[in-house]
Amino acid sequence: MGTRRRWLWRVPWIAALCLALALIGPGLTGTAAAGEKLVVWWNKGYYPEEDAAMQKIVKEFEAKQKVEVDLSFTAQEDLLKKITAALIARRVPDVAFCFFNDWQVIPKYGWNDQLADVSDLIKELRPRYNEKMLEVAYVFNNKTKKRAYYGIPIEAQTMHIHYWRDMLKEVGMEDDPAKIPMKWDEYWGYWKKAQDALRKKDPAKYGKLYGIGMTMSTRASDTLYNFDMALLSFNGELLDKGGKVVADQPKNREAIINTLKWFGELFTSGYVPPDATNWSDGDNNAGFHNKSIVMTPNPSQSIPASQFFNKDDPQKTNYFDNMATIEWPAGPDGKKARYLSAVKTVIIPKDSKNQKLAKDFVRFVLEPARFLEYVKAANGRWYPAFTDVAKDPFWRAGHRGPKGQKDPHVPVATTIYQDRDNKAFEHWKHPANSQVYDENIWGKAMARIAIDKWPPEKAADEAIDRMKAIFAGYK
Amino acid sequence: MPPFAFLVRTTREERMVRLLHNRTFHGFMFSAPLLALFGAFVIYPMAFGIYYALDRDSYRALFGDPTFRQTVWNTIWYVGVAVNVKLFLALLLSGILDYPYRWIRVLSALFLIPWAIPALPGILSFRWMLNSQWGIFNHLLTKFGLPSVPWLARHDTALGAIIVFHIWKYLPFWTIIFLAGRRAIPHELYEAAAIDGAQPVQNFRFVTFPLLRNLYLICTLLSMVFTLGDFTVPWLLAGGAPGDSTHVLATLAYRYTFHMGRLEWGMATFAVALPVTLFFIFLLLRWVKI
Repeated sequence: MGTRRRWLWRVPWIAALCLALALIGPGLTGTAAAGEKLVVWWNKGYYPEEDAAMQKIVKEFEAKQKVEVDLSFTAQEDLLKKITAALIARRVPDVAFCFFNDWQVIPKYGWNDQLADVSDLIKELRPRYNEKMLEVAYVFNNKTKKRAYYGIPIEAQTMHIHYWRDMLKEVGMEDDPAKIPMKWDEYWGYWKKAQDALRKKDPAKYGKLYGIGMTMSTRASDTLYNFDMALLSFNGELLDKGGKVVADQPKNREAIINTLKWFGELFTSGYVPPDATNWSDGDNNAGFHNKSIVMTPNPSQSIPASQFFNKDDPQKTNYFDNMATIEWPAGPDGKKARYLSAVKTVIIPKDSKNQKLAKDFVRFVLEPARFLEYVKAANGRWYPAFTDVAKDPFWRAGHRGPKGQKDPHVPVATTIYQDRDNKAFEHWKHPANSQVYDENIWGKAMARIAIDKWPPEKAADEAIDRMKAIFAGYK
Repeated sequence: MPPFAFLVRTTREERMVRLLHNRTFHGFMFSAPLLALFGAFVIYPMAFGIYYALDRDSYRALFGDPTFRQTVWNTIWYVGVAVNVKLFLALLLSGILDYPYRWIRVLSALFLIPWAIPALPGILSFRWMLNSQWGIFNHLLTKFGLPSVPWLARHDTALGAIIVFHIWKYLPFWTIIFLAGRRAIPHELYEAAAIDGAQPVQNFRFVTFPLLRNLYLICTLLSMVFTLGDFTVPWLLAGGAPGDSTHVLATLAYRYTFHMGRLEWGMATFAVALPVTLFFIFLLLRWVKI
């Protein structure tokens, strides 16, 4: 009995010890392991080939460096939350690549001094860079009070417009991209005309079809591309070179009003699906693939790339024959379109214990032949930030069709990157601008006009005031 | 041995022996794992959240954000309308399901389906049904010559859709609760009322409802607490769109924290709702006399 009682009072101690070990143990092992292996969080690719290419690179790196790499792939929305939580909790990976880093991570966490300064690596890679894509990582650190490179840009996406050639053919309209009018009003009118003609020809089939798949929702980052592209067409600027708000200057305010007015009229004209104010980023893609819209502006080449891998279309008829990619039209003043690129960027958190190894890993990934293989695995969805990689004939020629057809998509994107006036999105200029994008205040302004029936002037002023208030919050 | 007898001044060894044989100490040690878990997963996160929520600048930023002001109104509408309509309907439906017919049992089983199916496929299906181009609702409207409605592209219809889905999804659960409450009412009371010539409406007014009143109020408070924190339905159905006009506090806090990386704003958003939630919980505890 006495022995049993002695055991009885030992039980709580043992239980408490077990619990303590259970709670503390993983932390201890995590800390120990952090010195031995490189933790890499990588954005899950849209296609299995992208992930396979990265896995191959990691295996080669492990073999060369004799280290273990803990590589994990996460979808972009989830990865952003994971990186945000990690940076807040200061339990970070050694390398993180998320498609949202350039916009939502680098400006804010560079400002907070939570990202490693990689200026040395950038200096080394600089001769290879497309200079226009480099500035996206050159952000301000509020602790050191100076700018430095807090990320390594690797690939970019820009604005493309895709349309169904076969639909235009069906109603006898010109489907060759070279023959579609590129003046502002005529261009947008062309897709309206296509909607009218298709609905008239076959009301049962096309009664609910829309000509223009223009995303105008606060849920979608596509809205920001659309707004910023249109604003450039109307010659408006939101920030000056130093990152100061100039949206309230009369010329820019007028451009913003004209841009919002244009979006509002487009929406209420009946040529944009009513749900466009509720679309997420994938909804215009879905609408295009199921042919409920004739055309859609879309950043990145995800729409044609998806058709390229369409298993139901082994001859790739949709990719090579039925659809095409076309440029953004000239502005209302007749000036050639100016473009914006979102440059996708790798970060190394400042709290990483393996910063040297992390830089070695990034350097290894970005070696020309290796990076070319990786970026090509995305089927032209991304354009490389390095001039040597971009020299590969693939970017100018694209794929060759089974019947010898020319690629109607990848070369158009390459023309936009190489031959057009193209600059990076301006998140990097000021972290507050990153919040302006996070809040999607221009999508909100569009909704004010399209749904709440506000006049464009009122919607523009609300958005400008909000933008100024956000900037005022960063001191 | 009286509790805390081990505190009496004795030698160190004696104190240790007494401590290890003390029943209160044993009780404390046995509950220590639970207390540790409670501390780690309830107290610590709450304290962490409150610490972040104490930043005054966050409240200045929140109240300066027009989306936040709209969100507060949406939350009041969502909780006020969804909870009250749902519970009122549940109370009525529980009366129908209380009839002793076999087909009612089949109906009861079918009626539980919305509650039993996972929220995600239910919400996505509902979203598709509301699609203004291809959704079944607009298809039916146009069949009858009515204009189609952009359900999720207008603030009022989008918020209405969120409320309707919430009611559809959770109505069966509360109906079953009320059904159980009805069945706990002694049958003799209805027999006595019948002798006095009571009609069904009078039965409900003078027998059923007075005896269900406490249950109804407790369910209302519980449902308010649940609905105030509901994230799934508003987020998956509308995601704040159109124009960030359909956020509720839970979705806005999520947006601040994970989309904008402003943890302190997210915590402050929850903190705004905290006094209301605590008030409901306080009422609830008083009601059930815990």
